[in-house]
Amino acid sequence: MVLILTLVILVVGGLVLARRGMPGSDAPQRIVAVAASHLPPGRTDWGRAMTAELIQVTGRIPRWRFAAGVVRVSLFPPARHRGVVVAVALSAVLVTAAATAVAAIEAPSLAVFAVTLGVLLGVYATAVACRWPAQPLILPRLLAATVALAGASAAATAAVRIAIIRPAAATDPTHLFSILLAIAIAGYLACVLTPPALGEHASQAMWWALGGALASTVVWVVVAVTVQFNPEQITGYFSPVSAAAVLVVSACVAASTRSMPTGAKAGVLTALIAAPIHFAIDMSALLQLHRYVLTNQFDVTKFAHSGYPNVASYLISDTLGGYIIGGLFFGLVALTAVSLVAGAVASRLRPAAPERSTA
Amino acid sequence: MTRTRRPSPRTLAVLQALADDHERWRYGYELCTQLDMQAGSMYPILIRLADRGLLEAAWEDDPVPGRPARHLYRLTGAGRAFAAAAAKNEAPARQAHGPAASSAHQPRWEGA
Repeated sequence: MVLILTLVILVVGGLVLARRGMPGSDAPQRIVAVAASHLPPGRTDWGRAMTAELIQVTGRIPRWRFAAGVVRVSLFPPARHRGVVVAVALSAVLVTAAATAVAAIEAPSLAVFAVTLGVLLGVYATAVACRWPAQPLILPRLLAATVALAGASAAATAAVRIAIIRPAAATDPTHLFSILLAIAIAGYLACVLTPPALGEHASQAMWWALGGALASTVVWVVVAVTVQFNPEQITGYFSPVSAAAVLVVSACVAASTRSMPTGAKAGVLTALIAAPIHFAIDMSALLQLHRYVLTNQFDVTKFAHSGYPNVASYLISDTLGGYIIGGLFFGLVALTAVSLVAGAVASRLRPAAPERSTA
Repeated sequence: MTRTRRPSPRTLAVLQALADDHERWRYGYELCTQLDMQAGSMYPILIRLADRGLLEAAWEDDPVPGRPARHLYRLTGAGRAFAAAAAKNEAPARQAHGPAASSAHQPRWEGA
């Protein structure tokens, strides 16, 4: 309930902020403005051209169609090196086909996960290739990208390990959780590899986000190694460790830059970098438990009619599903709310520096 | 050496529309409505044509008050020659394929 409320607040807040940012504009105009601003540096004139054209497009449906077209151009701008795009797209198709084939043979329950993750990452890689050559990466962004890639790999590996060690736990007749996990892993990775614009404070914000994510991961590892946990307690919905990291990063970046959006974005980046690693750590710890015990009457009753061959498979499956929805989706929503609040408060704490007299 | 790729039917349509009145500066939405084409298809074609030096683009000098300046387009000399050559090549192809060739003007994600 709290999470749904948070989601509603975020959506309403976002709409209010968007309306304030562009008074008198409708949704297509805001979409076009955002999409046009994400065109590669050499294409900015075309973004301005499309934004200017929208003024004369009348009618609700034509405006939405025009906006959809601009979004399409923004996602897949005409490539300067078409060969690179074709090579990347073909590679993605081949890798996805190979991964799906291997999954279908070795761990059939992961076939849908493999194909979904492959398609999403392939589309993302193709979109990135359309912007080739990319601008050189600053060091913290390069490190964040490396950590994010490691996190995504670890999260996917954790899912594979569950499917191999406890096949019954990874069985997903609806394929819903397979698809959601693939969306989460690909989405988190894409957001870190292509972060939101952080302006002149990009380097500082990225360092903070990376530091916060790594610090929270160290704590996470220590807790996983030293504390004997109960699978029913692993929900990932709203971890105090993640929340503390996001809070500190958002507040510090917002205070030092006096920019609420920059602080909030740094906080969200912290969560995006850390979450897949935390997921992998928790799932690995879950698999290494020696005893799986049902501790509440609800689970005892549910397990009896669940069809799972043993308690371990039931508990792991239940925890995995709960973690995917609670931790990787609602958890991010909650942490976004934390970063927004921390950023808003901290950006007002530090007064503006007095202007220096040149006399 | 630059490899010349055969233009797609949509690109040919844009080239033809621009070549029909090659002195006049056109703007993107005008071309979209004339050719019944979506912005998501039109602008990539215009961008590719400009990248290849077939299209020149300029901002409107004297925009109507209250409206931002438009980005205007017209074919370069090379663009006009390319459009003429493409139209010339396309005519025998249409004749060879018969009436079915006219249905080639289908929505396709293809560039210049």
